[in-house]
This record gives sequence, structure tokens and C-alpha cells, in this order.
Amino acid sequence: MKKSKLLSLAIVAVSFGFSGFGLGSQAMADVNPPLAALGPPPVPHDNPQTPEKVELGKLLFFDSRIGGDASVSCADCHMPKQGWGFNDPISRGYPGVIHWRNSQTVINAAYLGKLFWVGAAKSLEAQAPGAALGGVSGNGERDMVEARLAFIPEYVKRFNQVFGDDWPKVNNVWKAMAAYERTLIHKDTPFDKYMRGDKKALSNQQMRGLNLFKGKANCVECHNGPLLTDQKYYNLGVPRAEEWSESGLAQITFRYEQYAKGVTEELYRKIKDDAGLYYRTKQKSDMGKFRTPPLRYTAYTAPFMHNGSFFDFDEVIEFYNNGGGSNDFTDGVMAKNKTPLLKKLGLSDQEKADLAAFLESLSGAEIKMSTPKLPPYAPLPAAANVN
Amino acid sequence: MKRTVSSKIPWLAAFAVGAAVVASPVLAADFGPVPTVKVDAKKAALGKRLFSDPRLSGDAAISCSTCHVPQKGFSDGLALAKAYPGSDGFRNTPTLINAAQKAAWFHDGRIGTNLNDVTRESITETYSMNMDMRLMQERIKQDPIYVKMFKDAGYGEPSNGSIRKAIPEYLKTLTSRGAPFDTGKMSDAAQRGFELFKGKAGCSECHSGPRFSDDAPHNIGVPENPEIWSNPARHITYVAFSMFMGIENYMNIRRDVGAHIRTHKSDGSDIGKFMTPTLRELTFTGPYMHNGVIKTLDDVVDFYNRGGGRDPNKDPRVKSLGLSKDERANLVAFLKSLSGDPLTGPEHVWKDKINVNYAAIENWLKQRN
Repeated sequence: MKKSKLLSLAIVAVSFGFSGFGLGSQAMADVNPPLAALGPPPVPHDNPQTPEKVELGKLLFFDSRIGGDASVSCADCHMPKQGWGFNDPISRGYPGVIHWRNSQTVINAAYLGKLFWVGAAKSLEAQAPGAALGGVSGNGERDMVEARLAFIPEYVKRFNQVFGDDWPKVNNVWKAMAAYERTLIHKDTPFDKYMRGDKKALSNQQMRGLNLFKGKANCVECHNGPLLTDQKYYNLGVPRAEEWSESGLAQITFRYEQYAKGVTEELYRKIKDDAGLYYRTKQKSDMGKFRTPPLRYTAYTAPFMHNGSFFDFDEVIEFYNNGGGSNDFTDGVMAKNKTPLLKKLGLSDQEKADLAAFLESLSGAEIKMSTPKLPPYAPLPAAANVN
Repeated sequence: MKRTVSSKIPWLAAFAVGAAVVASPVLAADFGPVPTVKVDAKKAALGKRLFSDPRLSGDAAISCSTCHVPQKGFSDGLALAKAYPGSDGFRNTPTLINAAQKAAWFHDGRIGTNLNDVTRESITETYSMNMDMRLMQERIKQDPIYVKMFKDAGYGEPSNGSIRKAIPEYLKTLTSRGAPFDTGKMSDAAQRGFELFKGKAGCSECHSGPRFSDDAPHNIGVPENPEIWSNPARHITYVAFSMFMGIENYMNIRRDVGAHIRTHKSDGSDIGKFMTPTLRELTFTGPYMHNGVIKTLDDVVDFYNRGGGRDPNKDPRVKSLGLSKDERANLVAFLKSLSGDPLTGPEHVWKDKINVNYAAIENWLKQRN
């Protein structure tokens, strides 16, 4: 009981803001949730963690038979060796296409209230099918996934043990994957140690960076709480992805996304950048807004921003030092939504280096994992034919 | 999904032919040749290119012509078809020659409307081409050759709707021609085979009309192809198909239920019915039957001579024929006389290399999408 109460508190803390505290962080600048060490990730009551479920989820995470042509798994865009993301600005996507946004790390995704760059999924259990079945990501299909799993005896056995399924059920694939992802967490970074009282965990330079983060640079305005994100949506004026102008493949996906997300034909014709939160809300005031990303594990997850525009911390810091940037949704071409929170910061070179040093403290040791050996297909036993 | 028998299908006449032992010249005319279909040349040319373009499949690995190979009578020469990568097929690829004139498509006849729907089904189905048509449209729009062809064909901007019109327009051009049966150059053996076909062998009971098909499903007791049930890649596809089609008990059955998916009779009496295939172009399209279990035309004729296979639902008209060796040879000669000129020239096959890479649209920021 006590444990679950703590968990609900954690959930409240994590999802702080989006609905209940939506008055604008400017007015409430002094009540930003404090930076803090990470606790255990929240676990939904309808998908409790068990070691067997986690183990099954791990196999499925690496199993390309979930994808449409059985050649891509979760781990192909969320690669353990690439920060559990993908180190190109735009993720590789399904064979024959390219994705249209940067692949986010899976590490600590378990703490997020909503997933994807504009919060399109409300849980890990909902994110997994979105990615596995999406046209430019896994391009899988539910019935085919279920059919394939039924021919892998090891999965039949494990789904039965974990979920009681006679035959593996596709919705339990997502549950197992989510359970596995709830183990892909990192809460013992130098920053966490510092927050738990080890004052030597941060170097002097990192301490100066932390003070800038909370003070002069005011990063904490949005990057706050234990995850270093308020999980709200802002338009910073991140420049459009270069791919749109340079790659035919990217242009195809860009138009496909407009079509698939149901924008008006008028907008489809003229839009030239990712309108972000707009696709969910269809509110012009949400154009170009993306969720504040967590800053944890970022030492391994470059490039940064929803479209991978920036290749390292220095470029990101320079961007903020200049008061952000401009795009079609800030300069009035499509909308004028740039957040007023961004102002020129006037940071010295030393201060920029200090901030970068602090960001390094949010990552800790790399989480490595090798691809598990996957169980093979086998024919089903002969059975009585009907009539 | 009961199909309506189209008035252009002379099945009544064909039935009469089957019943009458001696063919009259008037009724024999019902057998052929296959009438040509009027097509819009520009739309058909566009469809021809789309037909052989792998970008119409989800991972851009296969085109329509991967399975419908022009040199193999728009079939593939395999017992069981390939499928979208990651899967394998569980049925024999049917020829597309004269397919525009069918009344229902696929071996189970599950599409009984038009080629537009057949095209949609083939392109979008998970185990065939697994294509999201919205993505397909944007791919096609990225190719300047297509942009021009669609415009010239009167379709305006490329769209998934017009893709599904252009491919059927092309399929309408695939009409049999030059078969000895049509040109009057049948051998004597083939002539004698034709008489058996209409008479003693009773083939024309179902194989009637210019395409030699009544466009209806029948159970002739074709044995199961064990390859489907021993190869997970094929059996998986059948299981996924079963889920789509609402086949009961799909994890336990080890047989292709065929046209049962159209009628779902609770007594199962419709299980194992498959559409009567055309007999045109058979020399290019073996192996035979819905699951390719019969390799040669001689074997097909032997199969019927034995009275088909074993099945409680077998059509009672399929029974031992008592054909002599010569009679069987004559029937085979007749069947071979129904194959015409290969449709492999530029009129029917897109010959230019298709550049499947996508050039970036220049000056993209200034162009309307």
C-alpha cells in the first residue's frame, strides 16, 4: 500500500504540468518542481513487473519478426550502442523509407507521462504498437505479428507462463515490451548521487554549470524535476531539418505525415516544416511545439532536438545563448508561436563550457546490452482437419 | 459476398454445351476467342509502369510483376507463390491474362466487384505488398516521370485513387491472342480433344466461355499441398489470412478452406471450393490448381480421369471418366492449343529501366507540395 502511494506521488510529480498547471510557467516560475534524484519508475497497476515478463519483453524488443517485413526490430531505431536511439538526425525508419523525426532514447522513457515527440502515446504500452505498426517505423500488422509468434514455440510457452495466453496475444507483446523498458533506467548518475547528498559527485565546473542551469541560463524553467523536463510543449524556433530540402526520401515521408495526420489540403500544399503538437490538437497556436525532452542520458544520444538539428551540447547551448532560433512557426509564415521564455543569455565561453560539463553529469555509465539469441520458428504439429 | 452473374458471362449457354454431347458450331463459338477490351492507351501505359515498379510495396522490394511474371504467362512458375518479404504464400499465382474479364478474383473469388478492388487488395494486404496507400501516393508523386504520365493520361496529380485505376486499365490489355484454338490451326489431336472436352470428359461443365471458366467455385477434391503446413513461413501467412477472413478454429485446421470465406456455411459444405481457373495460356502457367500440387497437364488430365480427389464435399459431376491413353493425350493437345502468343513485348511489358531512387525536388521550399 505504502509503495503504491509513493508511486502515485511519483506519477503526479512526473506528469506535473500538462493539464493541471497549464497556466504558463512564466507566471509560476518560482514553483518549478525542483531538480532531484530519480526514484523508481512508475508501474501501471494493469501491467505489473515480473522477471519473466521483462525477459520476454527483452526478446521481443530485439525481435525483427515484429516488423512488417521481419527485418526491423525496436532495437534497430533504438540501438543500445547509439544511446538506445539512433545517431542520425532523422531516424532510419522502415526499409524503403526514412522516418521524419529524431529517434529518442528508450533509457528512462519509463518515467514519461506521454511518449513520442508530441506526446502522441499515453503509456509505454501505447507507444510500442505506435512504433511497431507505424508506416514509416515498424510497419507491422497485428494479425501478422500474432500469426508469427504462434510459430515460435519458445514464445508460445513464455506468453502462456507470463500472460496465460493459449497463443501469444499481440496486446501482450506491447505489455512485455513496456515491462522491459521499465528496466532500462538510469538513476545513478553523478547528478543523482549529488542530489542524494554526495557533494563530491559533481566537479567544481559541473557545480558552476548547475548554478547557471538554475540561474542565469534558466534552463530549469522547462528542464525541471527529477527527469529534467516539465513534459510541456514549446516552440523554440529549432530550424527545419535539412533533409526536407535535400533528400527525396525525406520529402516523401514529410508529405506522407501531413496526409496521414489529417491536415487540410491547403496546409498540406504549403507546409514546409514539422508542425509538431499541431497534428494532435489542430490548433494553430500549437504549431512547431515539441515536448521538452528529458536531459538524462544525453551524453549518448546526440544529435539533439526533434529533428536532430544539433550535433553536440555546444551547438545546443549556443542555440539557447542566442535566444533560440526561428522557423516557419515562429516568424509568422505559418504561425507566431515562439516561446517568450527564450532570451539571449549572454553566456561567456567559460559559462557555456560549465553548462556542458553539467549536462555530462546527467548521463552516468553507458547502459550496454548485447542482442539476445532469438528463438526460431517451428512448424505446428499436424492436427485434425475440419471435416 | 455473393457475386452477381454478369450478363456477359454465357454460363447458361456453356451449361447447354456441356449437356449436349455433340457440339453445334453455334455453341462452340461461345468458347472464344477472348474479346479484346477497349483501353485508354495513356492510362494503360501508366499502369504498365506501375505494374513493374517495386516502390508500390511497403519496403520497396517487390512489384506486381515479381509474382505475375510476363514470361511465365503473368504467373510465376512456382507451385506456391512468394509473398511480401518475411512471409511466403499459400496459393498458386493465377495468370493475369484475361483477368480483366473475370467476374470474381482470387482463387476463392473473394473479390467480386472490379479490378480496382483487386488492385487495392493486392497492394495493401500485409502478406502481398503491405503498402500504405498514402505513402505509395507520395512516393509516386516524387517521380517526375510519373507526374508527367499521370498528367498526360488525364489523371492530374498522382493519387492512390488514380493508381488503382491505371493498373486495371493496363490489365485490360492482357488479352489472349494467337492461340491455335482461335486461329483455326488446331492439330487433329487437339480437335479430337476439344470434342472430348465438350463431351465425354465433361470439362465444359465448368470450363466454359471464351476464357474456359464459369467464374464460380467448385470442389474437385484437390489434395492439400503439405508444403503449406510444414513450412512456417507459409502456414503463418495462412493463419494471418484466416484471422482477416474470420475462419474459425484457424490454429487447428490444416487445410485451405477456399470459397468458404465467402459463404461461411455452418455445415462446412462450402469448404474446399475454388474458382474454376481459366484454361488459357496453360503452357506458361504451371504448376496447376490453387495450390500448385499438380505439375503437368498430363497429370491434370489423369487427375480428372480418376474422378478428381477425395473430399466429402466434392462436386458430384467430378467422377471417373474412363478415358483411354489416346483420349487423354488428345485432351492435353487441346489444352495446349489454348495457349497463344506470349505477351512479353513492349506493348505489354514496361521495358525502360525504372530508377527506384528518389531525386529531391529542387527548390523544395518554394514548391507547393
